[in-house]
Amino acid sequence: MGPQHPSTHGVLRLKLTLDGEVIVACDPVIGYLHRGMEKIGENRTYAQFIPYTDRIDYLSSASNNEAFVLAVERLAGIEVPERAQYLRVILLELNRIASHLVFVATFANDLAATTAFLYAFREREVIMDLFEMWTGARLTQSWIRIGGVGSDIPGGFESKAREFCRMLGPRLDEYDALLTGNRIFRVRTEGIGMLPPEEAIDYGCSGPTLRGSGIAFDLRRAEPYEVYGKLGFEVITDTACDCMGRYRVRMQEMRQSVRIIEQCLDQLPAGQVQAKVSRALRPPAGEAYGRVESPRGEFGCYVVSDGGTMPLRVRVRAPSFYHMAVLPEMLRGWKVGDVIAILGSIDIVLGEIDR
Amino acid sequence: MILDDLKAQFGDEIESADEVGRELRVRVRAASLVAMCRLCRSRGYSYLSDITAVDTGSDMRVVYRLVSLQDGGHVVISVGVPRAGGSVPSVTSVFRGANWPEREVYDLFGVRFQGHPDLRRILLTDDWQGYPMLKAGPGQPK
Repeated sequence: MGPQHPSTHGVLRLKLTLDGEVIVACDPVIGYLHRGMEKIGENRTYAQFIPYTDRIDYLSSASNNEAFVLAVERLAGIEVPERAQYLRVILLELNRIASHLVFVATFANDLAATTAFLYAFREREVIMDLFEMWTGARLTQSWIRIGGVGSDIPGGFESKAREFCRMLGPRLDEYDALLTGNRIFRVRTEGIGMLPPEEAIDYGCSGPTLRGSGIAFDLRRAEPYEVYGKLGFEVITDTACDCMGRYRVRMQEMRQSVRIIEQCLDQLPAGQVQAKVSRALRPPAGEAYGRVESPRGEFGCYVVSDGGTMPLRVRVRAPSFYHMAVLPEMLRGWKVGDVIAILGSIDIVLGEIDR
Repeated sequence: MILDDLKAQFGDEIESADEVGRELRVRVRAASLVAMCRLCRSRGYSYLSDITAVDTGSDMRVVYRLVSLQDGGHVVISVGVPRAGGSVPSVTSVFRGANWPEREVYDLFGVRFQGHPDLRRILLTDDWQGYPMLKAGPGQPK
């Protein structure tokens, strides 16, 4: 299956061994999008590498920026102004909603519910407009910078963001009416692609893939970064362990993200959005790990410095890489048609698998 | 405390140990790596966050990050490995999730993992020559 199959969301080849229609074994072939991101990181200054991180998981570029920037700030001992921390959280949560909307859209589309695809992209477009208004870019913003964010939010952004937050809840209710309870959709997702909690942990699963197996582990709660510790939100879990469970987790998480954004807008303090950071930043020799709860799970950057202007090593820990490794286990015993649902339910981005 | 358990069990096998915030950084001899991972796992560090390698140009180490899902603590285990064609024991018997990241370290750094069930390239093509993440490789100015 693949590498050009439309439901593989990128370039992915799955070597499937079949007994009739039943999957006996699966060997994923990855690397088609390998761009040597980690190697590039060793040949750029710390600030220069930020735009590359956007392109690792291109559906949630802010999370990638954040993980890398967190590691660099820990290495160099940089304090970020509080207003910038709130703005980062707003950007991160808008990114999460946008990414989960793409998940709902493509997951439904792969299961032949094309209308839901159009609905979700309609809502996502509003977020893209908000990004464009603030950062000038729609997808790869590079707006989380070492020591702050690229700029303050422009006039009119807050009211537009609040309008979006008010609008999203009722729109999600529409998806529930259209898709979540749909009989065909349920038959294709309920009880399909089971991932028991022990197996999920054993394979290093994180994010909605882990929480869809009933494990309440969320880095925003377990290791709060920025101002997440001050914000109220629920860590969504679902004990179904199937495709539907993972879908429901993401649907509920969008509502929680709305809560977080509204709190940030309410509490947003005045002040600077960028700390003073040397242009020729030379963090002291040492190592730091920045890990964030990206829409897909634990996205981490392990940065090692030798005291120079360029990192000695940048390691990118991508959640989809680990989720892809467990896919063969999840597929075994299911039918070829279920591959689409199971693969869709772990919401991979090939850009971060291949890096 | 996990550090006391590790010291009691492994003694001189531990080359260095530092606590940095919520992180315990341990450098251990390769012979005790698998046993140490197993002990950490039994003490609640059941989530293998990542396996990677760091090549400084003069020496190389493989780095394992284990996380406790209960208290969020990290144990970061480092193992020194010779730069050219070195090998370390595979931890796939402790964490099934170690399979792919070990393949990646093999693919990009050339480290061999003894006991790995399926050690072959993963990101690069099967006929690729060399290990691009090593320092002083092609395209590397440092």
